[in-house]
Amino acid sequence: MPVYNDNRLANGGLLVDRSKTVNFSFDGREFKGFAGDTIASALAANGQWLISRSFKYHRPRGALTMAGQDANTLVQLPSDPNVLADRETIRDGLNVSGQNFSGSLEKDSSRHLGMFSKFMPVGFYYKAFYKPAGAWEKWAPVIRKAAGLGVVDDTFEPEYYDKQYSFYDLVVVGAGPAGMTAAIQAAEQGAKVLLVDENPILGGSLAYSRLDAEGTQAEALRQAMIADIESHANIDVKLEAICNGYFGDNWLPVIQGKRLYKVRAKEAIMCVGSLEQQAVFHNNDLPGVMMSSAIQRLIKLYGVKPGQKAVVVTGNDEGYATALDMLDAGIEVVAVAELRDAAPESELMQAVSQRGVRILSNHAVYAANASSDKKHLSAVEIRQQISKGQCADSGETFACDLLCMAVGYTPTYQLICQAGGQLSYNDDTAMFTLSKLPKAFQIAGSVNANWSVNAVCGDARRAAAIAVNRLAETVERVSAMAEPAPVADDSANSPNYSWPIFPHPKGKEFVDFDEDLQIKDIVNATRDGYEHVQLVKRYSTCGMGPSQGRHSALATARIVANATGKSVAQTGVTTARPPFAPERLGHLAGRSFYPARYTNMHHRHLEAGAQMLQAGAWFRPAYYGPTNQRDNCIAAEVNNVRNNVGLVDVSTLGGIEVRGPDAGEFLNRVYTFGFAKQPLGRARYALMTNEAGVVIDDGVSCRFHDQLFYVTATTGGVDRVYQNMLKWNAQWCLDVDIANVTSAWCGVNIAGPKAREVLSKLCEDIDLSSEAFPYMGVREGHVAGVQARVIRVGFVGELGYEVHVPQHAGEALWDALMAAGEAHGIKPFGIEAQRVLRLEKGHIIIGQDTDAMSTPEEVQMGWAVSNKKPFFVGQRIIRELNKEPQYRSLVGFVVDDPKAPQPEESHLVIDGDKMTGRVTSCNYSPTLGKPVGMAYVPPGKTEPGSDIVIKVDGAPVAAKVVALPFYDPDTARQNL
Amino acid sequence: MNEFETTAPDSGLRRSQLYRTQQQGGAEFASLNGATVVKQFAADDAQQLKSLAMVDLSMLPRSGFKGRQAPEWLTRQGVEIPAEPNRATRQQDGSLVASLSVQEHLILSDLQITAGKPQQLENDWQMDADTACYALPRSDSHAWLLLTGEHLRDMLAKVCGIDFAAEEFANHQVAQTSVARLNSILIRDDVQLADGSTVLAFHLLCDVSSVEFMWDCLQDAMDEFGGKPAGLAALLA
Repeated sequence: MPVYNDNRLANGGLLVDRSKTVNFSFDGREFKGFAGDTIASALAANGQWLISRSFKYHRPRGALTMAGQDANTLVQLPSDPNVLADRETIRDGLNVSGQNFSGSLEKDSSRHLGMFSKFMPVGFYYKAFYKPAGAWEKWAPVIRKAAGLGVVDDTFEPEYYDKQYSFYDLVVVGAGPAGMTAAIQAAEQGAKVLLVDENPILGGSLAYSRLDAEGTQAEALRQAMIADIESHANIDVKLEAICNGYFGDNWLPVIQGKRLYKVRAKEAIMCVGSLEQQAVFHNNDLPGVMMSSAIQRLIKLYGVKPGQKAVVVTGNDEGYATALDMLDAGIEVVAVAELRDAAPESELMQAVSQRGVRILSNHAVYAANASSDKKHLSAVEIRQQISKGQCADSGETFACDLLCMAVGYTPTYQLICQAGGQLSYNDDTAMFTLSKLPKAFQIAGSVNANWSVNAVCGDARRAAAIAVNRLAETVERVSAMAEPAPVADDSANSPNYSWPIFPHPKGKEFVDFDEDLQIKDIVNATRDGYEHVQLVKRYSTCGMGPSQGRHSALATARIVANATGKSVAQTGVTTARPPFAPERLGHLAGRSFYPARYTNMHHRHLEAGAQMLQAGAWFRPAYYGPTNQRDNCIAAEVNNVRNNVGLVDVSTLGGIEVRGPDAGEFLNRVYTFGFAKQPLGRARYALMTNEAGVVIDDGVSCRFHDQLFYVTATTGGVDRVYQNMLKWNAQWCLDVDIANVTSAWCGVNIAGPKAREVLSKLCEDIDLSSEAFPYMGVREGHVAGVQARVIRVGFVGELGYEVHVPQHAGEALWDALMAAGEAHGIKPFGIEAQRVLRLEKGHIIIGQDTDAMSTPEEVQMGWAVSNKKPFFVGQRIIRELNKEPQYRSLVGFVVDDPKAPQPEESHLVIDGDKMTGRVTSCNYSPTLGKPVGMAYVPPGKTEPGSDIVIKVDGAPVAAKVVALPFYDPDTARQNL
Repeated sequence: MNEFETTAPDSGLRRSQLYRTQQQGGAEFASLNGATVVKQFAADDAQQLKSLAMVDLSMLPRSGFKGRQAPEWLTRQGVEIPAEPNRATRQQDGSLVASLSVQEHLILSDLQITAGKPQQLENDWQMDADTACYALPRSDSHAWLLLTGEHLRDMLAKVCGIDFAAEEFANHQVAQTSVARLNSILIRDDVQLADGSTVLAFHLLCDVSSVEFMWDCLQDAMDEFGGKPAGLAALLA
């Protein structure tokens, strides 16, 4: 029986609920933890320190920060790679495994790769694998298999993510002492405040750090601040929420759970704290080597004992605070390697000394030794420092299973730099500082180089006052306040030790744990000529791993500066871009809003078995019947229209009303035909060209009133037509009103030789006779009791009426027409049949038979262009183009060979090996019994009877140019 | 007084595009002023209005006018025009006039459907060469939903990028914006319920052809807060 939780302390653990045991598995073995444990803390409680393997050398890695800020703890969940084990909480039944190993995590067969590191210097993959010729093909599969972390679950089912907008007077990011202070103060003045923190509890470092020798102040202060926040109605708190970027005007994406909050803040204060940095020495990546804050987190947040025997290497007071925490937790602290030569004797240092811990001043950890199984720390070698980064030739070895590193911090500068802040380096304090902040944006706390809790809170009050006073200028509920006096930082010194970097003859002093980069890798990058820190990054990949340089940027800047003879300030760091932490595509996508448009008859089509197709946002019936009988269904629908009567939903066609005294003049300018003298009660074909003379849309203009034209447009083109009309009239200032009424009207086209018989049953106040209502006539009246606009058109080449009714009555109209036509064999027909019918009639479809170069003459629409009027859009260029010989024309063609494969749209018209044109439309014509189509052909092939060759799936197919239309050239059918 | 007469959901010429969805949601249909509407979804519709609800008002009268001289014409018809665009004004007969621009106005029926103005204006309007005022087919171009309830702001925050906080968006303020990526008109018009309480409410008007999409989006956004559709009877009570 395994012993569970044997590293669990008897008390403590702010985040865990000891009354709830959680069972989970790691690497195939069963573990128990408590509710609230992260994977890493639960494993630590059970003595499992090895969590994953490093990317390049497959070195064993364990918890380093316990803050979800490093790549050491990336693990694999069944459907989720690269999960941070020190942030992800355990739940019953969770299956966790390590990453980046060959065989098993414990016995990784690639674990000896590090022995060959001298053959894999920085940038080696840029230089190797390409010679001899053909080598890359052999190496590529091996390298690609090794690349990347984790395994993607191809069977993963999409999950529900969404987004929500939020608006606040002030957003405070970071709920440590600075953030809580700023939030409370601003709320007191009436501001609406959002306080965001990535942790599950308020308090930030107060939740785990030690402010005093007794170790009581931090929690007392935290509880007092929490009470203030929880009692304040003006403060909203989002915990376990990450502000993952900064965008202009304080647009802050905050991710919490499966929701992305799009937060707009009038003011923002970043109290994002600082990130502890590692010391750089031989084997500094062994499990058991941890940041001081990681040790404190394990003890205070999870009640876990991080080791039995510890050594501390420190350059600040946090090392002593952590030593006291370890002593209180029953850990033997065998030595403190104090990096400073003459560190001021603080209260904490004295307390450690009084508890009998040996303090070695001006000493460094020169190397860490691995246990016999190479998977954990077993000892450290401490040597005296003799100069910057140099140690004495020998030292003292201390057996230990835990090394605490407390050598300094970098401000959490990522969001601030994204906002435009500038990072500088102060050589005196060995610290980065931030300046040049944008408007309505401040920083406070340790990110602003304040270290004592008094200074941190004082800085937050300063920032809050500035924000509040700016808000008070525009937000009535916020009252201004006096800016508090500055609070001096009472911490004795900078927490950063200037050079915690100790080269070792055997290397393996890791600067960047993500990519296994050692000191010599960074130095060699500069020697290869990549001296700028941005080039070092690209060449060495330093800072390009999952932790994005959080723990390598400072050390890299120092090493590059040293190697290039520049200051760290001159060297700088690489650019920090959003996101701050890894985010899921689901968060970015959120819920998918893809507006769909349905006609009022949509459900009738579905009920009739229609297969729907999408045209923009609209759904239209393609044909009616099962998909495996598509061609037969379409042919039957065509035949029924030709011989009987059919009904098609044309509601998606654009409808634009142009009204006013200048309506005729306006249409005269936007369409190619003449409209000023269009008679009342008549329709006229309307072809639209753009300024370049290219055909962009067509429709029918119907004149229902002296000042009212109802113009149809193509389904996909109406929005652009409407926008163009508005744009043009903004220039012309004609006295017209233009209204897009597409959605307000439903329409059907009842077509076929029996159309009149059917329609007449429902239409009492319109004389439908050919004499009274001829082709291209328009009438207003009632159909099936509904007010209707009836247009006699012939797109499909038969007697036909478009009946347009108000949207709400569309379904009722459909029902009435289907009922009235039942005895006449009426059937609905879809877009596919309509395409065949119009092709037989030789009518073009804009966008299918035209392209971005098509002029009216090319598509045989010269007849639709008025040469008498003084102006229309595109007129000038069309006149010029018409003076030149055409280089192509749209013609009709037929394929007479019944055995030839049918051409399809975009198949090429060829002449030998030359492309001379292309097919725009081609369908089998049930009426003609052979494929018919339209194609662009070159001059010399335009005359009926010309032979053309179309390349169909690589084979030439003979076709013959014929005169359009293919069907009913005398238009007798539509004039019935 | 408006009377509900129980009817089939697909009866009559005037049917909401949403009637199938509403039928699946358990709606009880009735005929009201010649249109088929949802009378009730559940017995607690009135309570739902307080919490979070949406009501399909698409069959209620509304009209619209635009044009250079639309304000003058409407004023001549007795309409009180809002002082500035993106504001709405309650009329004496209970109808609500929203100004979408200086030259464009939307007239909505009151929820009790007693106001005659929306229909009367449409009836009275004629194409007139001397008056640049043009009627718009608002009853057919736009669907009309009423959203109500104390959770309404939270729900709207999931589909719309406007700050609807009370101090930022006053009663009778209008937003012409995007809701669930669909162009929409939102008019805040807090509603007094039958028990005398007043509840936060917005009129939402969107392209009628997309109202099924909008209904689904709103229902999805409402689920988190227990929001449901409600019938007209609870409003008219």
